[in-house]
Amino acid sequence: MGLNLRRVLIVASIPGSLFAIAIFITLVAPRLLANTWHPAPKEPIAFDHSVHVQQVGLDCTFCHRNTATGGAIGGMTAGIPDVQQCMFCHSAVATSSVGAPGFKMDSAQAQAEIDKVRHAWQQQRAIDWERVHRLPDHVRFTHEPHIQAGFDCATCHGDVGSVGQVVQVRSLNMGDCVGCHRANAALTECATCHK
Amino acid sequence: MANEQQGAAPGRVIAGGESLHRWGMVIDIDLCTGCQACVIACQAENNIPINVEDYFVKHRVNQWIRIERYWEGEFPNVKARFIPVLCQHCGNAPCEPVCPVYATQHSTEGLNVQTYNRCVGTRYCGNNCPYTVRVFNWDAPQWPESLHAQLNPDVTVRTQGLIEKCSMCVHRINRAKREESRNGRPMADGDLQPACAQSCPTSAIIFGDWKDQNSRISRLAKGTRAYHMLEELGTEPTIVYLKKVDPNLSQHEATVSHKTAYRPLPVING
Repeated sequence: MGLNLRRVLIVASIPGSLFAIAIFITLVAPRLLANTWHPAPKEPIAFDHSVHVQQVGLDCTFCHRNTATGGAIGGMTAGIPDVQQCMFCHSAVATSSVGAPGFKMDSAQAQAEIDKVRHAWQQQRAIDWERVHRLPDHVRFTHEPHIQAGFDCATCHGDVGSVGQVVQVRSLNMGDCVGCHRANAALTECATCHK
Repeated sequence: MANEQQGAAPGRVIAGGESLHRWGMVIDIDLCTGCQACVIACQAENNIPINVEDYFVKHRVNQWIRIERYWEGEFPNVKARFIPVLCQHCGNAPCEPVCPVYATQHSTEGLNVQTYNRCVGTRYCGNNCPYTVRVFNWDAPQWPESLHAQLNPDVTVRTQGLIEKCSMCVHRINRAKREESRNGRPMADGDLQPACAQSCPTSAIIFGDWKDQNSRISRLAKGTRAYHMLEELGTEPTIVYLKKVDPNLSQHEATVSHKTAYRPLPVING
């Protein structure tokens, strides 16, 4: 009888635990990662940061121009460079298969990716980059004061310059921000970040 | 800025010290023509949804600044009086202690700030506000399709079920501070204006810093016309009104028509 009772209890607990796991996966887990932590999205062009930063030696702000200077949008976003800005260099760099003469990339794959940029430019069409870092709408983050305070881009973004595909490396939730603000004696008033 | 004394990196703001500013406003009732330009400017600046007729019928109008209109006298000597009423950013705010989740707090710069993502919509603050300037979002905000690109990215779009109110354009204040540290020179009086003050055609609304003794508002508030709205409640508003100058009143009537008109204002400081 005792054995039967135990078996009944075990069998009866299976649906319950499955239900709890299902609830965790569908409701709790997405909330823990809410809005701030996404897997790396698939970009329309396989842009490689490491080529531009490590091999070519560009500074982050060479392309992400709004970050430190504020610009028209006041440093609210780092700013995805527009196609025209890509073409500052790529009108002369790796131009072999489309348009004007230039040197060809070693890899056919890389050449194909650059050709996409040139095609977009010729058709006067924007590239639909997928955004990696996105904060909720009630947060007003501006790069400018953080850069002015002397922080490196890598503090929050990780070592983007050495990776091909950019991923979000910090949670960038409120605890993450406030922890850093406290550690650096920065403002922690609500209106500093919340808008 | 304080950071120079603290020896920190340029642009870094040190928390905990005494704040450099105490923002405030002077509203000259004598100059207000009731044109509602401030109301519209506020609406556009702060992503306030369009008030349709139904909201007026239900008394659910969403306005962060409103023009109160009073009629005085009998025909034919009727006069219209206008008072722009917005959040007074009280130094002793009745709305703040009643919030169960600390969604409304006082900033060190004298602003009464509302943190929307913390608000749970109990509406205690709105009920406790003697100026009735807090607005509850009964519905999710809606704009016509043509206005979707018009929304101000610096101001959050509030959702249904929470209280909102005048922020004294805190996003403009923050932006001005960033420009201050970028340019390396302190902002001058009048550099920074909230949307309502900027749009006022008669400059009836003047924004400034109470801590600057030479600012326009500090000088105006020393005059004999200055008073606080509902001063007897002891809310210590940061907004000072200048009473109407009425040429038809005799000198005696002018002196007694407002009980606080000739009483010096309490000293406003941080």
